Amino acid sequence: MSTGRLVPTQLSSKSRWKVAGLVVPGLLLCNVVSAGPIRHEQHFKVAAHPVITIHNPEGLITVKAWTKGEVMVISSPASTEVTVDAEQAGNRVDISTRALSDSVAPADMKTDFQINVPEDAELQIHNDAGSVTVANVLGDMNVETVAAGVDLEDTTGYLTVKTVGGAFQCLRCAGRIEVSSISGSFKLIDLKSTHVWAQTSTGNILFNGQFLPNGTYSLKNYSGVIEVRFSPSDSFDMSATSLKGKVNNEAKLTPSTHEHHFMPRWGNALFGTFNQGRAKVELTSFDGTINILKRD
Amino acid sequence: MITNECKKFLTWLETWDSDQQPLDSPPHARGCSSCRAVFEDLKAIHAEAHTWSANEPEPPAHIWSSLHAQLKDEGLIRTPEAERVSPPVVSSPGWFANLFAQVPRPVLAGAYLSLLVAAGFALSGPFGRPSNEAIWLQGTQVVASPLSAQLDTFEQNPMASRGYVSPAVAASLHQNLAIVDNYISLCEKSVQEEPENEVARDYLFEAYQQKADLLAQINERGENVQ
Amino acid sequence: MPESEAIRLAQQGSAPAFERLYRLHNRRVYSLCLRMVSNTAEAEDLTQEAFLQLFRKIATFRGESAFSTWLHRLAVNVVLMRLRKKSGTEASLDEMTEPDDESGGPRRDFGGPDLRLSGSIDRVNLQRAVEQLPPGYKAVFVLHDVQGYEHNEIAKIMECSIGNSKSQLHKARMRLRELLHEALRDKAREDRKAASGTAGGKD
Repeated sequence: MSTGRLVPTQLSSKSRWKVAGLVVPGLLLCNVVSAGPIRHEQHFKVAAHPVITIHNPEGLITVKAWTKGEVMVISSPASTEVTVDAEQAGNRVDISTRALSDSVAPADMKTDFQINVPEDAELQIHNDAGSVTVANVLGDMNVETVAAGVDLEDTTGYLTVKTVGGAFQCLRCAGRIEVSSISGSFKLIDLKSTHVWAQTSTGNILFNGQFLPNGTYSLKNYSGVIEVRFSPSDSFDMSATSLKGKVNNEAKLTPSTHEHHFMPRWGNALFGTFNQGRAKVELTSFDGTINILKRD
Repeated sequence: MITNECKKFLTWLETWDSDQQPLDSPPHARGCSSCRAVFEDLKAIHAEAHTWSANEPEPPAHIWSSLHAQLKDEGLIRTPEAERVSPPVVSSPGWFANLFAQVPRPVLAGAYLSLLVAAGFALSGPFGRPSNEAIWLQGTQVVASPLSAQLDTFEQNPMASRGYVSPAVAASLHQNLAIVDNYISLCEKSVQEEPENEVARDYLFEAYQQKADLLAQINERGENVQ
Repeated sequence: MPESEAIRLAQQGSAPAFERLYRLHNRRVYSLCLRMVSNTAEAEDLTQEAFLQLFRKIATFRGESAFSTWLHRLAVNVVLMRLRKKSGTEASLDEMTEPDDESGGPRRDFGGPDLRLSGSIDRVNLQRAVEQLPPGYKAVFVLHDVQGYEHNEIAKIMECSIGNSKSQLHKARMRLRELLHEALRDKAREDRKAASGTAGGKD
């Protein structure tokens, strides 16, 4: 059930006439104000674990968790040529941006969103350009963009992120993380994730998080830099291979006797165990550089 | 009394893979009753548990009914009319609806990926490697070139769709397509130079997959991206 | 309808495709849930939750692993998350094994002198023993010994290494062996008591 209310930033016609009768600059000011974007706010009551989907061609999307059992959607289209459809079906809320005519210019499709959701919400977000920021949401997430950057903070669950060129940053995230891109770079900071799979072709990958016992961490690129930072208390089995680039290592690894380990036969490779080898770390690059560095 | 041989046996037992290794008693266990007891016990546990899968119970019918109702509630199940590959285009379609106004992306990417499966067979040297490497390499080149050309054909003949694509998105798609094309040519060169290099072959395969996915995305957005 | 076709159609929202996938895999998933929680109502709930999560995420299935592996991974996660919540702690999944896991797992018990399990294991005893396993051991044991998954598949499902899967399975079996031996000793004790009671009662 939606309770929507318009929050116009334009003056009513009566006000406009009053101002016009006074001062010309004032009239100009009203015109400038009346050309501003319209904010539209909607509320949806939901039960536990709602699913929220957002399909938007371009804009800034910010999603935050709150303690209420409802979803609040504040949308700000850049022009009056588009509208936002937000519909609820059971425990699912679908939000999408729609053109009001066939001849809308791409730039007029830009719509920004500010969305508050229960913390156990599941999110599915498609946003081609702009940015996507999600904070404190603990449900599963699927985010797809072309050029938009993706920033996740304090999230958990099964996180699947796919961009073409957008960068990805994940701060203090837990759960499972799978991210892929062609040219986007990734920063994975202070993670507490048991499973990380990150693949980019030409982007850089920085991993500065925990290697949890029994966790699996696979970082792969074609070119660029893969950098992982470790602490003396970490425990992992490591294999690092760069076919045509360098592998620089500061970890004192001991050879492992696990029969299942893959022994690379090409390129520059590094393979061994750090402490008890409780996590599994695989770093692969075609001609990029792999740096395994001590955490400061 | 536990001897060193017993300790070695117990350590070996920790990595014993009943899928791969025979179930006969290993040499030490044949001579040591305590170790044989452990080994036989573990085999017996495995054997008994293995019989359970023959009688897996059917879950009650109401599970599917509730699941179906919930999927409908969440809009994950579409009505039978919408299950056609080309659902009818409504007037003033939403931006999202436009993506599925023509062929949905999974079908497009699937079409491209079917080419990749063929590429996979061509590139899977270890499984079908002829004794003569030169013949295999030539075969790979023969298959890879037309595949690459077919992907390029898809690239040049996009399906029209009513997409709304910002200049930033169009530029990003084309720029990344050029990156992937470059990546493919470098990987192909590497595979030609080192035909037995499985890592290089994997990279080439992945590059084709990326190109297929990217072309599917470009085609969704149609002429606005050209 | 073959599975690959069902997946493709399910990604487009086809109800018959969803049902087909459900029918193909429901027994295995339900069986796994039932063995993990030993309670039919809860197993039904978990089965429904696992399939719901599967169908919500099916658009993200890329085919990089077998569909059944992906489904079982979801199902195992759903079960282990539920068990974790019930235990009231935020222990990570990898910590849901024996507390002495760090020291190498169950003690290497050569058992009582004459009690061999071969011939003494029956379904009921073993099921009771499996119920007492910690969740992590139980999951690997059920996946391998009951459902027949190989270690490389279990490694993908449980998101661990193959070595870890073998190690967990071994520890699970050794723990089961201890539990079954305890049960046998208890039974032998009861039989002896019953026998001496009868003998003492005779005139």
